[in-house]
Amino acid sequence: MMATTSKQYKAIGEDLWKSRTDKINSELFALTYGALVVQLIQDYEDYAEVNKQLEKMGYNIGTRLIEDFLARSSLGRCSDFREVGEVVAKVGFKSFLNITPTVTHSGAPPPSSRPTSAAKQSGVPGSTFILTLDENPLAEFVELPDEALEGGLWFSNVLCGVLRGSLEMVQMQVQVEFLSDVLRGDESTEIRVTLLKYLEEEVPVGDD
Amino acid sequence: MQTAHASALSGLADPPARMVDGAAMDYLLIEAVNVLRVSSAVASARARKIERDMLEAGLVPPPPPAKQNPRDSASSTTGKISRPADEDEGVRSRLEAIGMHVGGNFTERLCRDRPLFSDSLDVIKFVCKDLWVSCWDKQVDNLRTNHRGVYVLQDNAFKPIARISSWEGRQEALKRAKLYVALPAGIIRGALSRIGFQGTVVPEITTLPQCTFQIKLLKST
Repeated sequence: MMATTSKQYKAIGEDLWKSRTDKINSELFALTYGALVVQLIQDYEDYAEVNKQLEKMGYNIGTRLIEDFLARSSLGRCSDFREVGEVVAKVGFKSFLNITPTVTHSGAPPPSSRPTSAAKQSGVPGSTFILTLDENPLAEFVELPDEALEGGLWFSNVLCGVLRGSLEMVQMQVQVEFLSDVLRGDESTEIRVTLLKYLEEEVPVGDD
Repeated sequence: MQTAHASALSGLADPPARMVDGAAMDYLLIEAVNVLRVSSAVASARARKIERDMLEAGLVPPPPPAKQNPRDSASSTTGKISRPADEDEGVRSRLEAIGMHVGGNFTERLCRDRPLFSDSLDVIKFVCKDLWVSCWDKQVDNLRTNHRGVYVLQDNAFKPIARISSWEGRQEALKRAKLYVALPAGIIRGALSRIGFQGTVVPEITTLPQCTFQIKLLKST
């Protein structure tokens, strides 16, 4: 069976989004998240700590969200890390946030033309993909004060945690970080996801 | 930048609103409660430390000794142990503050094209209809007032709490819901405030998913 193409994933993502029955105004979402970040800044008075808390919050969200995602998308296991990037960008982000970041792959081996065995995924640790967000629903109406810019705040750091938490639940240990953010005056908003290693799936006690 | 121009235009063009999946908001709120519980404890600890430092430096007078009832053995604990009620109060007030920010800003945009409100009842009706629909997909089910500044709004299936289920049971779900509604209460309060009406908004849940909000408007001069 041929690997699903990028275009097919895009179509899957769009279908999923269309079928979602409970949608909310993204302004409400942005205003809520923005106020939450401000509250954390007030409580911690330390931008590095706020980044950490946002990432941790995202991690907790990610560990729940992945189940929802797997249930709603009924996609099978990704055959390599490149495919993970495609699914995250075109199906994951699309179905939850209604955006489709561009994905740029690197360090991954070329996709094999024959189907890989279902048991083992392939992908070299160190493989990465970069998500470039042309729009960010978390950051509507946001302008960061200079203090936050200089303090190193990554406003949308929750997204890094969501990716880390959700991928961990499907047996991938990844490192996720922002490379740039238009909120900081950068040219673009980019998140890099690096594969550290595959995690052994835990075999339930009693299984042979 | 392309994106900036696009959003400026879309603001003028009034297209269908940008949406995100409701689940994204649900997950955000669930974890926001957890993150705020931790952050409010950090903030309180820091505030208490500052008080202690100031006390030690002699900058503030020591507090008067608490009256001890000799028969009350439970009063010997100092304020060091943070009680669950205090923790929740920190979370609750933060959720309300977030709500106020959301309500105020969102209302400003909702009210952009409409004429001025004629009186407080007009404002309350706006809350029951326009605000409720924009935030929670339906109108308020029941509105009562004593015509002297107190209004009770009832929603029989309040969206933010309609899907709260807890594997810990109905009591836990109710407790969780009572905390979550602080944010919607804040939205209402923030909306009223932005329009120019100060007051309090007290949410009450007896049975899920029904929720009432008691609004007491202060006399506006």
